[in-house]
Amino acid sequence: MYCTNKNLKETIKTTLKNTLIFILPFLVVIPFWEVISQLNIIAQLPAPSEIFEKFLYMAFEIDVLTQHLIGSIYRLIIGYILAVTFGIFLGTIIGLKKIISDIFTPILSLLISIPTIAWVPVLLITLGLGDETVIAAVFLGGFFTITYSVIHGIKTVNKNLINAGKIAGAGKYKLFESVLLPGSLVSLIPGLRLAIGYSWRALVGAEMLAAMIRWGVGKMIFTARMSNVVETMFLGLVIIGIAGLLLDRLLLYIEYRTVVKWGMVTEG
Amino acid sequence: MDFRKKIGSFLAITIILLFFFIWELFSNYEIIQIALFSKPSLIFGEILENSIEIIAHLLVTLYRLVLSFFIAMFIGIFFGMIMGYSRYVYRFFNPLITTLMAIPGIAMAPVFIIWFGFGDPTILSIGIIVAFFPIVYNSAIGVRSIDKNHVNAAKIMGANKKHLFLKVYLPHSFTYIIIGIKLGLARCWRTVIAVEFIAATGFGLGYWIWDAYEYLNVTIVYTGIIILAIVFFTIEKVIIREVEKRTIDKWGVLHEQES
Repeated sequence: MYCTNKNLKETIKTTLKNTLIFILPFLVVIPFWEVISQLNIIAQLPAPSEIFEKFLYMAFEIDVLTQHLIGSIYRLIIGYILAVTFGIFLGTIIGLKKIISDIFTPILSLLISIPTIAWVPVLLITLGLGDETVIAAVFLGGFFTITYSVIHGIKTVNKNLINAGKIAGAGKYKLFESVLLPGSLVSLIPGLRLAIGYSWRALVGAEMLAAMIRWGVGKMIFTARMSNVVETMFLGLVIIGIAGLLLDRLLLYIEYRTVVKWGMVTEG
Repeated sequence: MDFRKKIGSFLAITIILLFFFIWELFSNYEIIQIALFSKPSLIFGEILENSIEIIAHLLVTLYRLVLSFFIAMFIGIFFGMIMGYSRYVYRFFNPLITTLMAIPGIAMAPVFIIWFGFGDPTILSIGIIVAFFPIVYNSAIGVRSIDKNHVNAAKIMGANKKHLFLKVYLPHSFTYIIIGIKLGLARCWRTVIAVEFIAATGFGLGYWIWDAYEYLNVTIVYTGIIILAIVFFTIEKVIIREVEKRTIDKWGVLHEQES
């Protein structure tokens, strides 16, 4: 009991220390930035204090920030879940069946060369100017990465493990469920982390280009351009940066709790 | 092995042609609407008819890509080396870089439009910023991952700082730098296209596609996207592959993964 307590204390201590080390540079840069913009050295560069004021105003006084955030998060979650589901499904089929792999691999490698943002005009034409387009862009942003990571994962499962499973009398389904699926997690979980980054970027880009949506962090920046409100743009950028970082850290945490903890990959 | 490779690429081309054929067939029998999905024969006609215009757009985009990418590469490798060299510089800049890296380039476009106006300055500076982060990040990791014994061995044999940098640090971190360059180039390409959507003034593939979209000219939109796919496929599979063959593979730093 004492031992676990001590471990917990240690963990909290190192986490705190790492967070502090991470935040420290910002504590140096932000005052510096404040001084530069107060002295008006660069035109149209809002000071951090002004951005913070804007944040308070938008978050509490006119209460639009939460709506922007909810709009973005809702699209991200739906698109990302679709990407994970279909990505794992297609990746598994391609990984397991040689014929399907032969058919889909050329098409996939052609489609993956198209930047997600370039799909947006096509989606705007086919799906309309609203939510569907943004969700589809989020989906496309993550889908290919996840598919590839599953294919790669299944192909690199240790052949001895597969043979051992077969010798032990595992049927096709059992083999997939107990050998191939856990084995491919090594590549799938880092793939999920990459994919959420791509999805997040696609989300912001698509929100800026889709005309019919009202809420969303990307939309917030884009509408600020119409009225030239630099503070709102910077606030949007800060939110996008922090949210992107948090999403990445969340998936990194999952990575540590699963494949790293199980000893399937060494800490990077 | 070579024979199998040939069959593989033959099969790939057949399947892509088949894909286009089915697409054509579907639009001819009106299973999918031409107004929404266009059709391959129209796209092919578009390419033949406006090939000079397309090449002009392509060249402008490539010029933006190459210029911003090379500037980002030089600054990125140089700065990454310094970051890898000194622990304190690394500790200071790493959090800033990881945070800024999470911001997509297109989101910066409105701010840069206010600063620099529409056109090349905005597109180029966002391209530089976006390509810079992966390169600097990976170069720093590359330098940090060097075996200290190699450095000490070189020092014992009397290498000065210049030799140490050119003969030890640079070649050793090259694997990582190449990874950074690949990521940076891909991000730069995507971002240049995206920023061209909203900030270009007359030329560039992104501008061409977006302009066609605003007039609901579906055929040009699809043509543009197919050209984007072909160009990036070529950059990645031919040019980058060739660079890797001549450097990393030759030096035997990275072992080719059999897939």
